Formats: sequence, C-alpha cells, structure tokens
Amino acid sequence: MSAIDRRSFLKSSLLGAAAVSLPGRRPLAAQTTARNAPLGIIDTNVNLFDWPFRALKYRHTKALVTKLKKHRIIEAWAGSFEALLAKDMNGVNVRLAAECREHGPGFLIPFGSVNLAWPDWEEDVRRCHEVHKMPGIRIYPGYQPFDLDHPGLESLVKMTRERGLILQVVFGMEDPRVHHPVINVGPVTFAPLLKVMKSAPNAKVQLLHFSGSSQGKDLSQFMENPNTFLDISRLEGNGAVGRLIGSIQGLPSARVPLDRMVFGSHAPYFPVETAILKLIESPLDVQQLQAIMQGNGRRLLPRA
Amino acid sequence: MNPREFLINPADYGLPTRDELVAYRIWDNHFHGFLAKNPIEQYERNSFFVERMGIERSISQEIGGTLDEPFAPYQHDAEILRILERDKDRLSGRTPIDPGFPDESCAKIEKWIRNGPCIGIKYPGTGKTAVTCSHPNNDPILRLAAELNVHVYIHTWLKVGGTPRLPGGDNLPSESTPMDVAKLAQRFPQVAIICGHTGGDWELGVRAVRPYKNVLMEFSGSDPHSGMVEYAISELGVERLVWGGHGPSRSYATELGKVLDANISKADRMKIFGRNLRRICEPVFRKKGMKIEL
Repeated sequence: MSAIDRRSFLKSSLLGAAAVSLPGRRPLAAQTTARNAPLGIIDTNVNLFDWPFRALKYRHTKALVTKLKKHRIIEAWAGSFEALLAKDMNGVNVRLAAECREHGPGFLIPFGSVNLAWPDWEEDVRRCHEVHKMPGIRIYPGYQPFDLDHPGLESLVKMTRERGLILQVVFGMEDPRVHHPVINVGPVTFAPLLKVMKSAPNAKVQLLHFSGSSQGKDLSQFMENPNTFLDISRLEGNGAVGRLIGSIQGLPSARVPLDRMVFGSHAPYFPVETAILKLIESPLDVQQLQAIMQGNGRRLLPRA
Repeated sequence: MNPREFLINPADYGLPTRDELVAYRIWDNHFHGFLAKNPIEQYERNSFFVERMGIERSISQEIGGTLDEPFAPYQHDAEILRILERDKDRLSGRTPIDPGFPDESCAKIEKWIRNGPCIGIKYPGTGKTAVTCSHPNNDPILRLAAELNVHVYIHTWLKVGGTPRLPGGDNLPSESTPMDVAKLAQRFPQVAIICGHTGGDWELGVRAVRPYKNVLMEFSGSDPHSGMVEYAISELGVERLVWGGHGPSRSYATELGKVLDANISKADRMKIFGRNLRRICEPVFRKKGMKIEL
C-alpha cells in the first residue's frame, strides 16, 4: 500500500462518513459525493498471548484480531507478553511469528524481542530480522531486567539502525501501584536513550506507552530526531492528544510534532476503544487525524 | 472547533456517536474540574470536553474548601458557588471532609449539604491524621449522612508496597482501602457508600466490598483494563456500579472505554453510566427541590 495523501484521505474517509452536522454549518458529509470506506487505523502497540497476571478478555489471538478489525484497525504491530519474563527469547519470537502468520497474515506484524540482560541477545536480533523477517524489535525495560543505561543499548540501537529495523521501547505495561507484589518494576530512565540517539540520528525509535508528561524537556529533545515516534496509548487527560501536538488553544505548546505521533492501543490489556476515543475527544483536524491514524505509521513502516 | 463537530464518525469505528452517548444519560460521578491553581479557568475550559463527550451531569468532588484543606476558607468558594448555581442543570457537588476531625466534618456537612447546595460527602485520601474510613471517628459522620439521606463517596486505593510488599502497603496514612470501606459499610448498611477508583486494584477491591450491598463500586481514576466492568458485574451485579470521568486529569476517553469494552446490554450500560448514581442521589435532589429523572 502506498502512503496516502491528504486529498485522497479527505475523499475516502472523513468526509464520506456521516459526520455530525452543526447548526448553521454545512455538514461535512454533504461536501463530497464520495462514500468510500472510512480510513483504517494502524495500531502500533498490541501484544499477543497471556498477560502473566490475569486472563485477559482478548487473550486468544483470533478473538483479538476480530476485535481490532471491528474497530477498523487495518494493521497491528504485535509484540508478545511472553517476552516480559521469558529466558528463551528465541522461543518467544518463533511462537510470535507463527501466531501472526496463522491468525493475521498481513494484518498482525510481529515485533520480536531481545533481552539485553541475557547473553548473546545479538543473535536474537539477527533471527528476528533474517529468519522471521520482522520489521522491528520491541524491548520491555524493567520487566526485562535492565534499564536504558545498559551498555548493550547503544549496540542494539546501532544494530537496528544498520538493519533498517524499528526499535520500540516500552516504558510501562501497567500502573505500578497495582503490580503483583512479587513484581518490583522501577521506572524506566529516559535520559540514556536520549544520549544514545544523539549518536545514532538515523535510527528509527518508537516510545510505547510513554506518558509524555513526566519527562520534562527530554521528550522535546528526543523529538528533535526526525525518526523518533510516540504512540498515544499512555497519554492521559482530557484532550491529551491535541495538547501534545499543540492543537488546543490556551494550553502549553506542542511537545511532539504531528508527524511523529502514531496510534497505539495497548490492547488487549487496555480496551482498544480507549485509544480511538482519544482521537474523538481531542479536537483534531483532518490532517492531524490522517497522520495519527495511518499516515505516520505507514511512513515509519512502509509496505511493499 | 465547536465541541459537537467531529471529523470522523464514531460509528465507523465501532463506537457510539455523540447522540448515542447523550442517550446513555451519563452522570460523571468523579469530576475534578475545580482541582487546579486556577479552578475557574480550568472548569470553563473543560466544559468543551463535557459537551463534546455528551456528559449530562458532573459531580464535583471539591465544593467548599479543597481536598487538602477541607475546612479552610477557599478564595474561590464564592465563584464556584456562583457557577454551581449557574450550571445547576449539569453540575452538582460533594463537599470534602476529614474523619480525623469528626466535629468539624459534621459542621461542614450541616453547612454545605443540609443548608447548602451539595448532594454528597467526599472522603479524600489526604487527611491530616492517620484516620481512615473504618475508624470509629466516622460513626457520627455516617449517622448524619443517614439522617440527611445522602451518599458517601470514599477515595480508596490499594497501592502495592511496604514490608512485606503487599497491596495497600504504600497507601498514605489516611488513605482508605476497600477493606476499610467494607468495615464501615457493615456498621452502616442504611447508607449508600461509593468505593472510589474500584478500590484502586479492582480485582481485589471488588472482593473486599462484595458482601455489602450498600457499597457501590466506581469506575474512575485508574487505568482502563479490558474486562474489568464485566468482572465487577459478575461479582457485584450491575446495580452496584457507577461511572466517573475523573477529568480533566484523566481522559473521558479512558473512562468511557472501560464501560464500552464490556459486552453488555444498552440498559446495563445506562445503569453504570448514570442511572445507578441517580438512584442514590434521588432523595437529596428531591429534598432540595432539584429536578431529577431516573
């Protein structure tokens, strides 16, 4: 699929939908006669298999795929909950690749994982790329026993950059206040990643489940790199998406450029409804919606 | 942008339209519109999102003083009261108290509920002393609540921590757990009590209050977990659940998603989104001559 432009987006989705009409204003839907399918969403943040501490409602991949498609997700970048605690990372990645092929070929895009604390993680990177043809790697610092000051991070960023892989860095999975008592996952420190990124400006790095509000100037500095992205799954507060890209008047200026924000649901842990509602709640214009729902994700991961 | 203007149709994405949200008759049990350094400005700005997401009524958690200083005169009290009157068709309020000071708490309830505009009592988790809602200090407060036929909202959490590391071990000294709520509810079965934030940890919180039919669980102010509403329905029944937006610090999107995730009937969704709260608010609304339709 080629990247969509703004004109085709306007014709094919938003204006084709029965948008709400306003008193004294011409309904958007009446501005065009085109009535094609609404724009689909690329979800850059889902996980497959079992969350270690609860039987999630959509833990079965078939059910999750059905659920995502019901909400017009057209592509989902899938990690594996198994990667949080497993030692056999190759097994984790083999099962993830097979599950994506079986239940969502072309829809579920596997993002394997490596654990920097385990020996020879570099071989896992190679297998993810060369054997499983994965487009990216997802790491879960904290659950995986390392922080971003781990000496292997620089090598990982370099490897993913050289191979053209996307590196997804997960900043949390759940509110630490409700962790199971046996789990003691500390906060992920952001600054070391920023430092590594300055020495690898072409690396494609995405922050997953990042709050966007607690890291001071770090996020703005991170976004100075044109290949860095942020998903919306952890953004919180009324109008959070709009606030972060600066679309709400009277609130602090943008800290994330529009072209760097992508859709992520954190399903099946979070309801997929939540992330979509964030796009509806924030007053976003057509260009902003197009970019977050699909355009930016497609630019980050073009399809043949 | 007009708050009713949408450039995507929610129905195309498997979600209710604004008209459908309005039809749910959503009452926001947990509104922090005035919780800010500039409370009036924040309230007015947040009204955009109230309108946009089709919220019918918001229940402010901080009318009269603040959560941290519930007994001290607050410089914005007069303006907030003016707004409460101006927006009475869509805004109500609870007044915060501190069970560490039962006499002052009862006096405040007399002023702000019996003789004032508020429709409920709010227990913050930030009291000055290590008194939670299970302490005997609470008994005169609950007796007064029973006399006035008003409900009691209790902030609860179960923050994991402490030694040994357990849920609740990292709570503030005055921060109640759902187990504290259960003890209080057992002593005052005639008072409707709302257990805030589903206990913080909903899987444990629901278990704690399960036997006490006068306790309602509030979905608000915690992360949205798929399946949490269905679990609570299975253990408590749908009549015991209420919904809160916790805006503007939380997103209405976050909170609405919890209930929309559940595979339940429209009638049950309406109970959670508003009807159950209206049911326990009805006596005080009628007593104050305020219009209410269940």
